[in-house]
Amino acid sequence: MDRIRARDVSAFEALYDGYHRLVFGIALRMLGDLGAAEDVTQTVFMKIWTAPEAFRGGSFTAWVSRVARNRALDVLRSRSLRPETELPAELPLDGGLDEDVFARIDAERVRDALATLPAEQRALIELGFFGGITHQELARRTETPLGTVKTRVRSGLRKLRDALGEGVSR
Amino acid sequence: MNDAPTREEMMELVALYALGVLPRDQAALVAAFLAADDDARAEYHALRATADAIAVTAAEPVDSARSARMKERLSARIRADAASPAARRRIGPAAGWLWAAGLTAAASLLLAIISSVQVFTTQGQLAQANRRIGTLQTQVAQAQRTAQFERQERLMIGDLAAPDAKRYDVNDGIVVVRGDRLYLALSKLPPPPKGKVYQAWTLAKGAKAMQPSVTFAPNAEGVAVVALPVDASRLGAVALSVEPDGGSKAPTSKPTFVQPLS
Repeated sequence: MDRIRARDVSAFEALYDGYHRLVFGIALRMLGDLGAAEDVTQTVFMKIWTAPEAFRGGSFTAWVSRVARNRALDVLRSRSLRPETELPAELPLDGGLDEDVFARIDAERVRDALATLPAEQRALIELGFFGGITHQELARRTETPLGTVKTRVRSGLRKLRDALGEGVSR
Repeated sequence: MNDAPTREEMMELVALYALGVLPRDQAALVAAFLAADDDARAEYHALRATADAIAVTAAEPVDSARSARMKERLSARIRADAASPAARRRIGPAAGWLWAAGLTAAASLLLAIISSVQVFTTQGQLAQANRRIGTLQTQVAQAQRTAQFERQERLMIGDLAAPDAKRYDVNDGIVVVRGDRLYLALSKLPPPPKGKVYQAWTLAKGAKAMQPSVTFAPNAEGVAVVALPVDASRLGAVALSVEPDGGSKAPTSKPTFVQPLS
């Protein structure tokens, strides 16, 4: 990131090569539209180029994932005719995992950890994470009582934390 | 005041917030809770880190043609920008990027409409174009306000939950200072009497008189999370009192609290 702050184009292109699949994948899962996912990817990387100071340390992977989610959420908002209050709050961009912790958490390990959850908890967590919807909407779509959704999300996230082990258990 | 949620209910909301599925209108309730509860903050950070990890499962191969096209488009913009030092200055500060692209697009659209007005031949067409311009200007202003609000909201919750923030317990809640930003996160505030509001006060280091700050009222649950528009690093104390609607220039009632800041 220091090189990108110094306007090093080759450093930026290397960063793009390393992370565009993640950004594109998040946007595609949330938007279900290849063109929109491509636009989000462009926007996210333009943000990194024009405002690298927005990244203030910690895990770059976690940060860029949140930026991608928030940008995809913006797109969902712009598409939506629902009142703002029915859409989730955006995520703060600082804090969270350190880069060294994230380096130990690869996709396969997270998928394995998710697979250990009861199906009803896993479905809620994945739909919530990639759906860009609120817990009320989760309850409606899965025909599950609201109180049950709350309990399952918390319980599922705690089990996932335990399954991922060191690093996210602090 | 509505019945306050139990601690277990609040911890469930914390998990929903960590996953990113809590509606915006409940974010302040969670923010106030996180600001005041050490265990809740620890769980929030752990669950948010867990939720962050889910993102890596979304990474997937992008087909080579699309990948090359995306990189080519982006590289062309980056190289053009890198070749023009003035371009970066035009883009403005980091905080503005989210809506800058939207505003630029809206402004371009406005220009296009204005240009097209030149070829209109009837008053009716001109009036219609003017109405469209007015509508667009309103939408641009609304987008600016919404984007600014969202940036402040993200910053606020990040600050309230931050492990490195300074916290001062006060009546009905907590005062949180992080860097030069200061928040009142109050969760058990009774509604003010009719015709009254709560007003925050600040005392600059070395000063003798309190300066008036924002006025506010709690929500139905007695929750109010307020960012004071002040440089916290220059403050010696913060206070809260009940004042007539519209606020006062000097406190007119006994303060609810006066909190020195170290």
